[in-house]
Amino acid sequence: MLKLDKLTRRFGDNLAVDNANLDIPDGQMVGIIGRSGAGKSTLLRLLNRLIDPSDGQILFGDADIARLKGKELRAWRSDCAMIFQQFNLVGRLDVITNVMTGRLYDLPAWRAMAQVFTPRERAFAIQALDRLGMAHTALQRAETLSGGQQQRVAIARALAQEPKILLADEPIASLDPMNAKIVMDALRSINREDGITVICNLHTLDTARDYCDRIIGMQDGRIVFDGTPDLLTTQMAREIYGAEAHEAFNEAATSTSLGASSAPVRASA
Amino acid sequence: MSIAAISAVSDSQIAAVRAAHPGAFATPAATIRRWAPLAIAIIYIIGSMWYFDFGRLFDSSERVLRLLRSFVVWRDMDTWSYSQIYVGIAQTLAMAFLGTLLGTMGALFVGFLAARNVMPVRVVRQIVRRILDILRGIDQLVWGLVFVRAVGLGPLAGVLAIFVSDLGTLSKLYSEAIENIDRKQVEGVRATGAGQIGIIRYGYIPQVLPVFISQSLYFLESNTRSATILGIVGAGGIGMIIIERFRASLYDQVAFVVLNVLILIFAIDWLSKRVRLWAIGEKHDA
Amino acid sequence: MTYTPMMGGSAGASGGAPDDAVATFERHRIELRATKRVWNILALVIFAICLGLSVWVSRFYPERLADGIPRIFEYFATIMPDLQWDALFAGRTEDGSAVPGSLTYWYTDFWTYLTLIFETVLMAITATLLGTAVAFVLSFPAAANLAPNTWVYIVSRRFLEICRGIPEILLALVFVFMIGIGPLAGVIAIAIHTAGALGKLFSEVNENASSRPIEGITAVGGTWADKMAYAVVPQVAPNFFSYAMLRFEINVRASSIIGFVGAGGIGQELNRVISFYSDDRVLAVLILVVLTVTVIDLMSERIRLGYIGRENFA
Ligand SMILES: Nc1ncnc2c1ncn2[C@@H]1O[C@H](COP(=O)(O)OP(=O)(O)OP(=O)(O)O)[C@@H](O)[C@H]1O
Ligand SMILES: [Mg+2]
Repeated sequence: MLKLDKLTRRFGDNLAVDNANLDIPDGQMVGIIGRSGAGKSTLLRLLNRLIDPSDGQILFGDADIARLKGKELRAWRSDCAMIFQQFNLVGRLDVITNVMTGRLYDLPAWRAMAQVFTPRERAFAIQALDRLGMAHTALQRAETLSGGQQQRVAIARALAQEPKILLADEPIASLDPMNAKIVMDALRSINREDGITVICNLHTLDTARDYCDRIIGMQDGRIVFDGTPDLLTTQMAREIYGAEAHEAFNEAATSTSLGASSAPVRASA
Repeated sequence: MSIAAISAVSDSQIAAVRAAHPGAFATPAATIRRWAPLAIAIIYIIGSMWYFDFGRLFDSSERVLRLLRSFVVWRDMDTWSYSQIYVGIAQTLAMAFLGTLLGTMGALFVGFLAARNVMPVRVVRQIVRRILDILRGIDQLVWGLVFVRAVGLGPLAGVLAIFVSDLGTLSKLYSEAIENIDRKQVEGVRATGAGQIGIIRYGYIPQVLPVFISQSLYFLESNTRSATILGIVGAGGIGMIIIERFRASLYDQVAFVVLNVLILIFAIDWLSKRVRLWAIGEKHDA
Repeated sequence: MTYTPMMGGSAGASGGAPDDAVATFERHRIELRATKRVWNILALVIFAICLGLSVWVSRFYPERLADGIPRIFEYFATIMPDLQWDALFAGRTEDGSAVPGSLTYWYTDFWTYLTLIFETVLMAITATLLGTAVAFVLSFPAAANLAPNTWVYIVSRRFLEICRGIPEILLALVFVFMIGIGPLAGVIAIAIHTAGALGKLFSEVNENASSRPIEGITAVGGTWADKMAYAVVPQVAPNFFSYAMLRFEINVRASSIIGFVGAGGIGQELNRVISFYSDDRVLAVLILVVLTVTVIDLMSERIRLGYIGRENFA
């Protein structure tokens, strides 16, 4: 169970995340929506401690994540995998090494420096890739892959971490609808089959509705909506998205609702 | 299909994955290929440590201490002939200035001779270029030594050494700048019926002048640095004072002079950055 | 209605006649030219003063130059070998002495030179390897975006600046005093300078490395060293390699002259023949040095291009 208590982050005078309180039970799939600049990325980065909170607590079990340092902080990061909009793979390393970097936390320092991986680690990495249908690219350089393929490798890297929580910051924002669907399906299967909590920033409303058990709406750093998709009224969504509503509802570019969509309610633009 | 934890990956699973993706596993050959460069480098370094007798580095502690002490403890500072030191520094700057100036003037001429689009006679161009290669191939310090033998100790040899090595490098850079110019502007001047000199004056010079100036300024900077050491072979400037006092075991004075030289070098670096910025700015509103 | 191209609508609206704008423009232009002229004259005056001072301080007077130039040509005449065509390829006579006018005579000490050139190249390789290793390690803390904290950053930067700031030959002078005459002093001096020069270049390359992979490795729980090894090194390795090879070329030159202060290599011999003899031996050594430097440059260029080519096609 992940619990945010009065979590706040300031950039100068700008409150990027303002007094966020949340309880996220294990195994939930959570979507965070909001217009650009609402603080979605900042919230996820706070959870993974890529940035430090200005105030408040992040509790996981008994541990206050917000105060962790050094090895404990790295332990948390390895438990709490992160997927990025731009994949953040090491382009010049091959795919399997990229995936095995997910094991870095558990590696003794000398093995990490010498890039010596055991057969078990290699097999595990290949299994993770295989799960995302990417095992055949294992020896290719990551930068030679397409965007969708790179994001799948990034998910395999996250799986290699054996995380308890998976954070995804707009994982499909730079993908075409086909790849976006593959990636979102993968996240859902990881959530359903492995019981890993998935927290996912999404730009488009229908993706959030399609895939998430719970939607959190952010506006100017504050959490303004928190509930199941069917509680999110069109009126509410319009308010969250403000001027971007048109774009968010009419997503042609980054939608996952490709034909097979089981989209429940579609807001009419 | 959820994957098991890494601890639960069984040996048979590993074997199965290895069979399906043999390339993803380390083979002895791949391991050797990966570590070979590092191993060779380490073996080479160990070998050369033996060859160059690195052990001597640790036998010398007594002399090192003596040297370090006299570098730090400065004695009889009122007897140091400061005027000589600062004249030496002024001489260094003067050598750099004159050498760069002469080199630039020479390169203005030779650069055009070595440029393909200005010098149509291939033989002349090739001869000029080979001579420039030789001028560049011999280090400035060697030129210094040679000129000391030819014209005697003192800054004249230093100026000549800077001139000759700059002539080699600047002419090459200038000729490349000339070859890279925009043809259209030259055609424009040619169309007005200008002669060869006129074409060079109005078609080439305006295009290449900024490049020339910035390159010469850059050389002025690097020559001030190299002029400080030309004195080591007797070619004038502060280097001569450094080596004289070093030979006379006046290490505290050497330390003082070197400190001055370092300050000079850092000051020149800073100043030349300023001047270049200013010169480029000037070019913008011209 | 006539169209006045130089004017905006607002100028017309404010009631000003066209002459006004032209006059303003003219006045502005004249002012601009005047200030430019002042600057140019000022620059000229400064230049003349510098020139005068330089000539005076270095006693670079025309008569000295006129005296010197003929002597330069005389000197170059004395170092020319006296080769005779009919004896050019003559070997040694039975008693082991070389025939005057032959190449063997000119290059009597050929094997000594060759040994020294071999030593020179070894010095350059060792100094480049050692210097590159230090530069590699320090380039990460000395990069503004990678340094773990400000202290480490400042200390490593300053250290590299000092290594780079002191000319190699001065360092060599000091090391010759400390550990005696011989190539070791040269190797250490060049290695220190290499560490400084490459460290600066490497850290600049590091500062241009993309932060995305670094963030990726941070997010998996990697240490600082993990981030450097997995996210930065793969990005910068090709650049590091090219810079190190270029430095190697520079170091071959450096190690061929560092012997002037007794720090080993062919420079020691070059210094000896130039200082003590003015005969064809000077040219003999010079030719070998230039040849070595040229050959090394060509080889290093091939390796560099070969490596980069392979990188691009892999
Ligand atoms: N490193 C930073 N320095 C200063 N301000 C920042 C920084 N990161 C984020 N901000 C500010 O915090 C606010 C929230 O930004 P954030 O990136 O979290 O928004 P977002 O909801 O992810 O937007 P988007 O949908 O465009 O990604 C913005 O006003 C942004 O300008
Ligand atoms: Mg964002």
